[in-house]
Amino acid sequence: MIGPLVNGIILGSIITLGAIGVTLVADILNFFNFAHGAIFTLGAYFTYLYLNILPDMGSMFSLSFGGSMLIAIVLSMASTSVVVLFFDKIIFRTLRQRDASSLFLALTSLGLVFVMKATISMIWGPQVHYYGSIQSAIKFPLGIRVKPDEFFIVAASLILVLVTYLFLKYTRLGKAMRATSDNVVLAQASGVGTEKIVTWTWIMSASLAALGGTLYGIEVQIRPTMGWSFLIPMFVAVIVGGVGSFGGALVGGMIIGISEELITSLLQDMFLKLNIRVVMSAYKPAIAFVLIIFVLLVRPHGIFGRKGG
Amino acid sequence: MLSYIASYLVMASIYGIIALALNFQWGFSGLMNFGIGASYMLGAYSAALLSSAPTAEHLGGFGVPFPLDLVGAAIIPGFIAFLIGFPALKLKGGPFAIATLAIHEIIYLIVHNEMWLTNGVWGIRDISRPLYSQMPQQYDFFYLLIAGGMLIGFYFFFQKAVRSPWGRVIRGIKVDEDMALMSGKYAWSYKMQSFVLGSAIAGIAGGLFVHYTGFVSPTNFTPLMATFIVWLMVMVGGSGNNRGVLVGTFFVWGVWTGSEFLTDFFPGSMETRAGFMRMFLMGIILLIVIITRPQGIFGKEKIIPKYLRSE
Repeated sequence: MIGPLVNGIILGSIITLGAIGVTLVADILNFFNFAHGAIFTLGAYFTYLYLNILPDMGSMFSLSFGGSMLIAIVLSMASTSVVVLFFDKIIFRTLRQRDASSLFLALTSLGLVFVMKATISMIWGPQVHYYGSIQSAIKFPLGIRVKPDEFFIVAASLILVLVTYLFLKYTRLGKAMRATSDNVVLAQASGVGTEKIVTWTWIMSASLAALGGTLYGIEVQIRPTMGWSFLIPMFVAVIVGGVGSFGGALVGGMIIGISEELITSLLQDMFLKLNIRVVMSAYKPAIAFVLIIFVLLVRPHGIFGRKGG
Repeated sequence: MLSYIASYLVMASIYGIIALALNFQWGFSGLMNFGIGASYMLGAYSAALLSSAPTAEHLGGFGVPFPLDLVGAAIIPGFIAFLIGFPALKLKGGPFAIATLAIHEIIYLIVHNEMWLTNGVWGIRDISRPLYSQMPQQYDFFYLLIAGGMLIGFYFFFQKAVRSPWGRVIRGIKVDEDMALMSGKYAWSYKMQSFVLGSAIAGIAGGLFVHYTGFVSPTNFTPLMATFIVWLMVMVGGSGNNRGVLVGTFFVWGVWTGSEFLTDFFPGSMETRAGFMRMFLMGIILLIVIITRPQGIFGKEKIIPKYLRSE
């Protein structure tokens, strides 16, 4: 019972990092970015690239990696942002100037998924890669087993989520972003430059996704399809929490992560007792979907949703 | 060479039927269905299981003969679309697209994992190919008559449907749902009808596909091959224009099959990467179309009633 809960928190913090990016883009650029999973994958591969270039600096504490990983993460966040801004300049800006509908932007992002996935597969190949060696878990009371890397994953997610929150809440730019999401025309009239806001939205969204992808790579492995399988949980987290709600993305991400792990293990136990042979872990992604139906039937605008209509 | 062209035309016709179905849902009814591939897959597996001989490997042994199992290939995806429609059609726009994409992933997971039902990744072999023993040499040409005939039939069906009073309501709901409601048209019901009809017809295309290849496995229904390529066909041709969609289908499928020749030029060690080159090409085509010609080659067709035409 506690084992799946711990796994759920780890998964939930990775989903949250992605979900914040989805919710920022959905709120400020007004479309659901289907390419967010591909951005997540790209970030993981950039980290892999820099890890191989940087000299090995040994490992810190009892983690399986060291300072070179931290530098690689920062470089990866920057590189992912540059690539995403490039796509924004050549594609999304043209569409914005044309006042394209949000469905059109969503479809464009779906096209971008295949361009990015194909490029990643061509450069790094379709096979699985690992950042480092596999780590053994530390045993805690109550049968909990946690790898030291997993503390890093949760801590890094929490710190970045907190930094993003403080940035949005207190800095001038963050306030301008929130103003733009509330009312574009009013924000422009008050002297907020929309293009600057859009640029920063992409940078934050891409950086958090790059970190999320890297953390998933540390926990499991990296492969070209990893982001695609995270896409639906990220979207579900955003919709459960309410589009445009920062706290909603955090709570939604945690709910999805924990319930995926908990419900899978509970159902698996139940089926074992009933002697039904079903491999529940194969259906983990389905749980996110059943949740979305339930939430949308009960609260159509999500738990923290604020937008009417 | 001739039989190569015939086989290209058969597959293009099958995709043409799905593209027409998607165009009806998206171009005319405004439903952003990212799960159209799920209906195609359900139709393919329904036809395969209904017509297969008894086997220990998976469900089967119903022995429904060829043209009749296509009815099953329409009813099963149609009915599942009906069930999905209840929660999904409460959503609009982006969330609807996400929900349909999620359904596609779940159906794919079930087909991929449940060995007793679909034989999982091994797929279903020896699906009957109608009249194959009579003409193994000219089979592509014979099947082209079936698939091409169905495509032409569905083209005229959809052309009539969108011009009928019923189709007018559907198109009206896309433009302004509240206006349709005010005119006493229950929008939700019409959207459901469009969703179910499109899914059922995509299912028939799936049935045609399995009887042509004689084999089906989950790899035929990746997000690229089952959903995205169909969207590309609709977007290239012009959403809301059935003739444009047909042209878009033959163009996109031409590029896809043509790019197979390109990959032959790559050395053997690069072969797996060359496959991704084709995926890249498909994505780039969509981006180029969206940036340079967002309305597609033909654009949305203006449908003007006969008595309003000026000449």
